[in-house]
Amino acid sequence: MRMQPLSIGTALAVMTLFTACGEPNSPGIEYMPDMYRSPSMEAYLDYGQDPFIFGDSLAVAQRERQSARLPVVGTVPFSWDPSKKEFNFHYPYPATPEGYEQAGLELKSPIAMTQETVDRGKVIYTKFCMHCHGEKGAGDGAVVTNGKYSQPPSYTAALKDLPEGKIFHSLVYGKNVAMGSHAGQLDKEERWLVTRYVQYLQNGGKLGRATTTPADSTIVPAVAAVTTTATAAK
Amino acid sequence: MRNSQTVVKSGNAYAKKLYGEWNQIMTPQALTNEEVDAVLYYVDNFVPPVPKGGDQPTPVGAPAAEAPMWPWLIVVGLLLAVVTLSLGGVRTSLTNAVREAEGQQAIRDRTGLKRFYDLAGDNKIFASVIGLSLVAWLLVSGWYWALTIGVYGGDTVEHYRPEQPILFNHTLHAGKADKNNLAINCQYCHSSAEKSKHAGIPAPTCMNCHKAVAQGRSDAGTKEIQKIYAAVGWDPEKLAYTGKEDPIEWVKVHNLPDHAFFSHAQHVAVGKVECQECHGPIDEKMDVAEQWAPLTMGWCIQCHNEKDVKMAGNGYYDELMVRMEANEKLGHRELKEYLEDEKITVKELGGWECAKCHY
Repeated sequence: MRMQPLSIGTALAVMTLFTACGEPNSPGIEYMPDMYRSPSMEAYLDYGQDPFIFGDSLAVAQRERQSARLPVVGTVPFSWDPSKKEFNFHYPYPATPEGYEQAGLELKSPIAMTQETVDRGKVIYTKFCMHCHGEKGAGDGAVVTNGKYSQPPSYTAALKDLPEGKIFHSLVYGKNVAMGSHAGQLDKEERWLVTRYVQYLQNGGKLGRATTTPADSTIVPAVAAVTTTATAAK
Repeated sequence: MRNSQTVVKSGNAYAKKLYGEWNQIMTPQALTNEEVDAVLYYVDNFVPPVPKGGDQPTPVGAPAAEAPMWPWLIVVGLLLAVVTLSLGGVRTSLTNAVREAEGQQAIRDRTGLKRFYDLAGDNKIFASVIGLSLVAWLLVSGWYWALTIGVYGGDTVEHYRPEQPILFNHTLHAGKADKNNLAINCQYCHSSAEKSKHAGIPAPTCMNCHKAVAQGRSDAGTKEIQKIYAAVGWDPEKLAYTGKEDPIEWVKVHNLPDHAFFSHAQHVAVGKVECQECHGPIDEKMDVAEQWAPLTMGWCIQCHNEKDVKMAGNGYYDELMVRMEANEKLGHRELKEYLEDEKITVKELGGWECAKCHY
C-alpha cells in the first residue's frame, strides 16, 4: 500500500497532460522543438514557443524578433534576365488624375499582342480580375452579383476605347474606391499580360487592335527621362 | 371531478379543505371520462418549462472546449479502489487487535497487493498471459499515441483549428458563386503561392475591396471588418488612412518542421496541384481554416509515389524530357521503365530522394 501516493500522483500528472492539450489555440506537443523551429529567419514563422506549454515570457521574448518586413521605400524590383529588361524601371506616373491621363497618352506595352500573351493574360485575369469584372469583362463577377459590390464598367461598352496605358495605371494605383491597387499581387510583366487580355476582351474576344511595338521603342519619354537622370546621377 | 359536491358532502377531509380554501365555490364540471383522463395525464406528466436562452448558436471559431470525462472516471475508480483496499486493511487490523486481546495468533496480513501477489503466484501461467497481454496492449497503444505527436490533421486526430484574431470566413469569400458566395480565387489573396515558398498572408489586399465594403452580411461580420480597419489604420468615415497601424497577429495553422523543406511555388506553379488537394474543402465547408492534411512524411511521399507529373506547359521539365529522349536514343531504358505504368511519377524523377526535402 506504500505505492498509493505515487500512483495517484502519476495518474494526476497524466490527466493534466491530456487536459492541457484541450486548448484550441495550442498546436500541442511536438518532438524536439529545437529541430522544428528554424534558427535562421523565415517569413511567417512563429518564433515564440508554444506559450501554453513553455510559458508566456519565453514566447513573448521570442516573438519580438520580427520576421515579415516591408521593402525599403522606392525599391524597384530588378531582374537580371535580359528578356525582362523592360520591366526593371520605376513606374514614373503619379497617382493623380493627371498621371492617369498622361499614362494613357504615353505609356505603351512592351509585350506583343499574340495568342500566347493573351492566353497567359487570361490565366492571370481568371485569378485576379474575374470575380469582379466577370468572365467576359461585363462587370458581372460573383463579388458584384452576390456581394452587392458596385459594378465596374463593361470592357465592351464604357471602357471599349480605354488605352492600355490607363489600364496599366489602374492596375498600379487602383481606380476610385472600388478598385484597389494590384501592384502588390502582380509584377509589371503580369500587369502587362493582363492588360493584353483586357484589350482582347475589349475587342470582343479577337486579337488585332495590336499596338504591338518592338521592345526598344517601349521606353516612353517619361521613363527615358527618369533613366537618363539616374545614369547622370551615377 | 365529475361530481365534486357529492365528494364534499360525503365528508372527505381533503375535499372539505379545498372547499374552504377556495371560498366555498366548487362548480359542477361538464367533463367526459376522456377529458378527465387527459387532464390527469397532463398533471402526472407535467414538467416545469426550461427557461429559454440556451439556444444561442455557438460563435464561429470558438468551438466549445469539452473536457473529456474519462480522466475523472479513472480518478474516481482509483479513489474507490484505494478506499476499498484501506477498509480491508482496517478490518484486518481490527480483527488482529481482537485476536491479540483474546490471546490468539494474529492472522497473516493478506491485504491488497500481497494477496494479489499470492494469487498470481498460485496461477503463474494465467497471470503471465494476462500480464503479457497487458504489456503488449500498453506498448501498442503507446506506439499509436506516439504517432500522433506533432500531427494536427488527417483522419486519426482532431484537426488543428486555432481561433484567429479576425474571424475570416473562407467559405464566404472563396466559395462557389452559385451558392451565393463571392468565388474569389484563392490566389487573389494568397498571391505569393505560385511565386514563393510561402502562400502568403494578405496584408493590404483586404483593403482592395473592404475600402468599399464596410458592412458585413451580419453584425458579426461588420465587427470583423472593423478589426481590419483598426489593423491597417483606415478611417471609414473620412475614407482615408490614419497611419496608425496595428499589425494582425495571425495564428499559423500549418507548421512544417524546419528540417523539412516545402515550397508552395514548386507545387502550385510547376506541379499544378490544386490548393484543395492538400488544404481540403476550405472553400466549401471551412468557415474557419483548419489543418486538413496530416502533413506527415508518409503523407508527402505517398502523393509523390502516386502523382502523375504534369509535364506539359510550364517549361520546367522541358530540358529533362529532351535529355531523357536523347538517352533513349543512346539505348538507356529509363524513360521506358518510367512509362511502364503509363505515367511518370514524382518518385521516378527523384521525389523520394532524402535530400529533396531534407537538407
